[in-house]
Amino acid sequence: MNNRLKVLRAERNWSQQELASRLEVSRQSVNAIETGKYDPSLPLAFRIADVFGMAIEDIFLRE
Amino acid sequence: MTDGMARTRGPAFWGTLFGIAMALIAAARILDMINPPTGFLLLAVVSAACLPQIFRTAMAAARRSGNSSSALQAYNKRMLFASLGYVAGLGVATLVYEQIRLATPLLAVLALLPAIPTLAMIWAMARYLLDETDEYLRYRTLLASVIGLGFVLALGSFWGFLETFGVVPHVWAWWVVPVFGIGMGIGNCAILARGR
Repeated sequence: MNNRLKVLRAERNWSQQELASRLEVSRQSVNAIETGKYDPSLPLAFRIADVFGMAIEDIFLRE
Repeated sequence: MTDGMARTRGPAFWGTLFGIAMALIAAARILDMINPPTGFLLLAVVSAACLPQIFRTAMAAARRSGNSSSALQAYNKRMLFASLGYVAGLGVATLVYEQIRLATPLLAVLALLPAIPTLAMIWAMARYLLDETDEYLRYRTLLASVIGLGFVLALGSFWGFLETFGVVPHVWAWWVVPVFGIGMGIGNCAILARGR
């Protein structure tokens, strides 16, 4: 699954660690999601959407 | 090893050193180059020297790379104590067995010495999976466990058939624990390398 996490993070000038702190996950988790190596669960996807103030489908895209 | 050297070496160095030392001890035992007491004395020395360094440097590396959690730190501490208990229990049980003739009920108690730390390791893993709130770290541990299990099944099956056909000597079943640990370690390294 593709996602716009890196772009959205860059727009807000957040580091991976800063986003990880906001999501209460490890920096490695953010990195794995950003690079498409790990697809988050639905609850984590909702948390990501809440942090960016967007809908899930605006962050995560179909292949 | 000096303190300075211990500070600069990472978990890969200590893990490799531990693996090589274990392999050499196992080979020396299988080939009957050393007796059981010497083998376990060497095992205890190598474990006491390497295991704390592996856990300490691994946790430091995990913290530096933003790859740690409080559940993971608690898990590593529990595993370190269980691993040292396992080596100590295994060494004491084998030495007592070699030196003193015991009745069957006492032998069963003796067998518990290394078995209890093994159960503690399984409990530590279960507790970690329950405590870990970071789903990616939990997923990674599960994946590494499956890789470790794959090592146990593959090596156990292959060695078992070699033993059936008389190609290799008998190996005690408790070797599944170190093989699982080594397999899990290799799995973790592979996952980390893939994530970079």
